[in-house]
Parts: sequence; structure tokens; C-alpha cells
Amino acid sequence: MIFWEIAKRNIRLHFLRSTLAMLGIVIGVVAIASMGILGNSLVATVSDSLSSVGDSVIVFPYAGGGGGFGGGGGSSENLKITDQQFQQIKRAVAPSVAIPVLSTSERMKVGVGGDDIVASVYGVDPKYLPDLNFELDAGSLNNANSGCLVGSEFAKDNNIKVGSRISMGTDGSKGTLRVTGIIKERGMSFDISTDNAVIATQDWYENTYKTENYDEVVVKVKSGQDTADVKVVIEKQLNKRDKVVSVMDSKATLASIYETFGAVTTFVTAIGGISMVVAGVSIFNIMMMSVNERVKEIGIMRSIGTQKKEVMSMFVYEAAIIGVIGSAVGGILSLVAGYAISALMLQSTKYLFTFATAFSVFEGVGFGIVVCLACGLYPAWQAANLNPIDALRHE
Amino acid sequence: MTPPEDDDQPVMLFRDVAKVYPLPAGDVRALDGISFQVDRGEFISVMGPSGSGKSTLLNLMGCLDTPTEGDIYISGTRIGDMSDADLTTLRRDRIGFIFQYFNLFPLLNIIENVTFPLMLKTGKGVDPERGREVLRAVQLDDSLFTHTPTELSGGQQQRVAVARALINNPDILLCDEPTGNLDSKTGAGIMDLMTELNRKGTTIIMVTHDPHIAEYSRRTIRIADGRIVS
Ligand SMILES: Nc1ncnc2c1ncn2[C@@H]1O[C@H](COP(=O)(O)OP(=O)(O)OP(=O)(O)O)[C@@H](O)[C@H]1O
Ligand SMILES: [Mg+2]
Repeated sequence: MIFWEIAKRNIRLHFLRSTLAMLGIVIGVVAIASMGILGNSLVATVSDSLSSVGDSVIVFPYAGGGGGFGGGGGSSENLKITDQQFQQIKRAVAPSVAIPVLSTSERMKVGVGGDDIVASVYGVDPKYLPDLNFELDAGSLNNANSGCLVGSEFAKDNNIKVGSRISMGTDGSKGTLRVTGIIKERGMSFDISTDNAVIATQDWYENTYKTENYDEVVVKVKSGQDTADVKVVIEKQLNKRDKVVSVMDSKATLASIYETFGAVTTFVTAIGGISMVVAGVSIFNIMMMSVNERVKEIGIMRSIGTQKKEVMSMFVYEAAIIGVIGSAVGGILSLVAGYAISALMLQSTKYLFTFATAFSVFEGVGFGIVVCLACGLYPAWQAANLNPIDALRHE
Repeated sequence: MTPPEDDDQPVMLFRDVAKVYPLPAGDVRALDGISFQVDRGEFISVMGPSGSGKSTLLNLMGCLDTPTEGDIYISGTRIGDMSDADLTTLRRDRIGFIFQYFNLFPLLNIIENVTFPLMLKTGKGVDPERGREVLRAVQLDDSLFTHTPTELSGGQQQRVAVARALINNPDILLCDEPTGNLDSKTGAGIMDLMTELNRKGTTIIMVTHDPHIAEYSRRTIRIADGRIVS
């Protein structure tokens, strides 16, 4: 169609300013899309290293002030959860299962002549193991008192197989544990971080460390119960007089982590959006110039029988050509930019070729085209609605 | 809807037409109490001093504008009742415009300029056959067809403009000072072309202040201060 042709020729005639306007759109698209890619990669990185613990609520002894991940070893006896408190929790959360967990860190040795290593040691009653939903890479869940489970990373680093023996404590002072199963990689977890740990039985732990109090209680919330409600119930029961435990709702914590990253992604994308607004203004500007330069031409067109909508289409085409070319170039460059930023900031590009990335690029490109059309629309409308007589008289 | 050519109706009928331009410094009554009729096949020149309202009158005839008062009928249809889109279609299909400053499109070559109104009508691309046919009818050299307008002389450009006005076979040709920017010899060539078109049945209304050019027409309307004086 002739108006398409005129639009093309006008862009070619004003090559420099059209290219500059396209450049603005390219930058806008790259800013939005690469920020989106970065944000998505960030979220993917985080969610990959956090295991999905399902619906669990974790109860820690209250350490004064913060709370949070207080489970680690070395805590003194008064920073423990007593059996009495555990029974209270158990009753309060029924029918959900409350699992008492003991934990510390310990020196140990694998095989003969190996170096001493330090790792987390957990004590968990084998009857609760099914509730913790460990997936195994090899072996089976431990029942025997002298058996244990190990995390996959721990197993890999120390060349441990099912059947391997670990001598616990300095020079085996705490006895020997036989590995019965290797737990699949779970990532950082709110309840029990198994990847670099030895999970022994509760009996072994209590005998070895002469303790009867627990370091944390993991509540696996049954479907039908709400984690938030469970948290409230526990707090009500135990923190009646003094605050003795702090309770973490894994679901809410996870949600707030994702929410935070989501907000960060939105924020950086919005910053990218500012450059798109600037690009839009420059498109608007050159479209207004294009219209103002051609008032007389528009008058002639109208006088010899060109409809308003045809005049309008001519300018919309012009904005569309700039928008589509600029956005397409921007889309390609944003993949490059996304790759570079991910490689530099996350040291990993494995999250680049995902649906989320494609969506970010699509979003940037789509936004670029929409901005161009929107900014071309008013000048085009103005051109179409010029009074033909005034336009003809225009010099 | 475009009024059909109708033999029983005058091509154009003005009844008590006035055109007022509202300006901040006060309204300008560019035309006042204009009544006349144009029949099929007439060749009329409109004469008058500068600022008397000639262009305003021609714009009204060309349906580029609507009157402030009074009625204008084209082949019996009142243009005040027509939508902008209908008036545009009417201009495209039935009226040819020729301007003093040629007014060709600089981005298009000669063939594209000439076939522009045809493309509007068909919605298709350039029809080079039809373009060449019309350009030959206005005696433009074939070698110029793919040039751009600025590469042509004034007389050549005006021939292209005439060809463009003729491409959709309009029955009315409106010319505003068609020879105003041409030397007298070139102007005479254009006027011979118009006379020829009129002889074939095209109704022509031409604004001019050159009495020699007006002699080509068969009737003259004189206006002064927005009124017809003879
Ligand atoms: N679009 C407009 N807006 C305001 N005033 C206008 C407009 N067009 C014409 N006029 C005024 O109307 C009057 C008639 O103008 P018009 O252009 O019709 O004169 P003309 O006879 O064609 O003159 P010329 O021989 O110089 O071309 C003038 O006073 C002019 O200033
Ligand atoms: Mg005039």
C-alpha cells in the first residue's frame, strides 16, 4: 500500500533522526528485558538453593532478641526445648506431627588415615523419618542405633558410600556410625540442612551427648491445617508468661523471601521502564516533527481524496516501523546483555535459557512496540484531523 | 455515499452561501450571499482582486469546507448533510484539483504521484499502465516518469498535476491559478490542455486574475469583497 511506502521513504529520508529514535527504543527494551532476565535468574538461583520444605513450622528456643536459625550446635542447656515443652507443642499442633530434633557440630573421620572433618550432626528418632520426607540417592532409611544417613554433598566430598563407616569425635571417642542411606541434595533448608550433615538416631545422640533436651522442633503441618494458625497456636501455648520459643512459619518465610526478590525485580525493571519513557518521548517528538513538516502535504492528500484514517495510518506505520525494528534489535541485544549481567553478577548463566527469560524479552519487545505505537498515535491523530484548508494554506 | 452524476441536476448549485472565518481580531466574512449554478460541461473562470474570496469559493466547491450559511448542492445532494468520509470519497472520485504550486508529493516519483488518487480508490499499488496513459495525454515525455517532482520544470510539474487530477476521470475540475507560476507560453500549453478536456465534457471552474487566461473560459464570475458582482 502506498502509505506504507511513504512511511518507509520518510524514515529513510530522515535516516539519522529515525535511527536515534530507534536507538532510544533499543536501550529501553534492553533495560527492561535484561533487568527482567537478571531478576528471574536471581529468583531461580535462590529457589534452587532453598529446598521446598513443604508446609512446616519450626520451633526454636528463644535466644533473646532475634531468633531465626538458632538450631546450630553449642547452645547451652537453657537454650533448649525441654521434653515438657515438646509435649505441649505436640498436643497443640495435633493432628500435625511434631518432630524433636537434636543438633550439634562434631569432629569426625571417614575411613582410615583420613583428615578430621567437621560437620553437623542431627539426632532424629527413626519413627519420624518418613514424616521428614527425605528422598534417598542410595541405601535406605536408618533404623539401627549405630546407623546414620548422610547428605549427598557430604557423601560426595568424603567419598562415602552406603556401608561406609564414620568414626565420630576426636579419635573416634564418640563411637562409629555406619551409613545406611544417602539423602538427595535438598539445598538450604529451614528444618534440617541435610546436605552437609550426618543424621543419627535420637537414642544414639542422647547417649553420646548426655542430653535430654531438644534444639528445635519441626512441625510437619498436615494438609487442611494452616501453617500460620499452627504458628499462632504454638506461640499461645508456650509463650504464655515469658517468650521461651520463637516460631518460624516456613511457608510465610519462603513467601516473604520470594516477595522481596519479586519486589527487587519489579523495581529494577521499573528503572528500565524509565528509559523506555524517555524513548517514548523521543518517538513522540520525531513524530510531531514529521507531522509538522508535512502539513501542506497532508492538506494536498486530503484535498484529492485521502481519508482521515489513511493519513493516520501513514504516521502509525512510521511509528510502527521504528518501534518494531528498535524493539527487535533491543530484544536480541537484551539476550546478550542478560547473558553478560548473569555471568558477571551470578557467576552462572544456566538460568538464562528458560521460559522466564523468554518472557522478559517478550515483555521488553512488546512494551517497546506498544510505547512506539502509543507515542505515534497522537501525532497521527493530529495529522488526520488537520483542517484541509488550513493545511493547504500552510507554507 | 457519493452523489451520482445526474444529467437533470446542475453539477453545482450555491444558494445564499456565506463563509465566515472566526478570527480573534473579529470575524472575516470571506463570502456573503453567493448564489449561482454550474451546469454540466461549463468552463467558468472566477475573477476578482486579491482577498476577494476566490479561493474560499473554490474550496467550498471542492467540498474541502462547508458553508457557514446557505446550501451547496453537488448533483442535487446537499453537502452539508454529508459526512467527512463521504465528502472525501466525493473529492476522490468526482473532483480533480489543480493548484498554483503544483503540490506534488516529494517522496513519490512521477508515476506514483499521478496514480495516487487511483491507489486511494482501488486500495491497490501503482497501476503503471494507467499512469503512463494519462501522462501521455498531458504530453509528458516518457523518460521523466520515474523522476521525482523536483527534477521537473514548473510546466512539467503542472502537467503531472493535471494528470493526477484526471486519473480517476472526474467530471469536475477545479483549478486555483493553474498558470500562476508558469511563463505565458507554458501557461498557454496548460490552457490548451484544459480546453481539450472541457471539449470532451469535463466541467471546469478556474480561479485566475489573468484576463488572458480567463479568455479560455466561456463564462466569467467576478467577485469582490465576497460578493458576486457580475
Ligand atoms: N482559513 C482561513 N482562515 C481565516 N481567514 C481566511 C482563511 N482563508 C481565507 N481567509 C480570509 O478570507 C478572505 C478571502 O480569502 P481568499 O483566500 O478566498 O482570497 P482570494 O480571492 O483567493 O485571494 P488571492 O487572490 O490573494 O488568492 C481573506 O480576507 C482571507 O484573509
Ligand atoms: Mg487565492
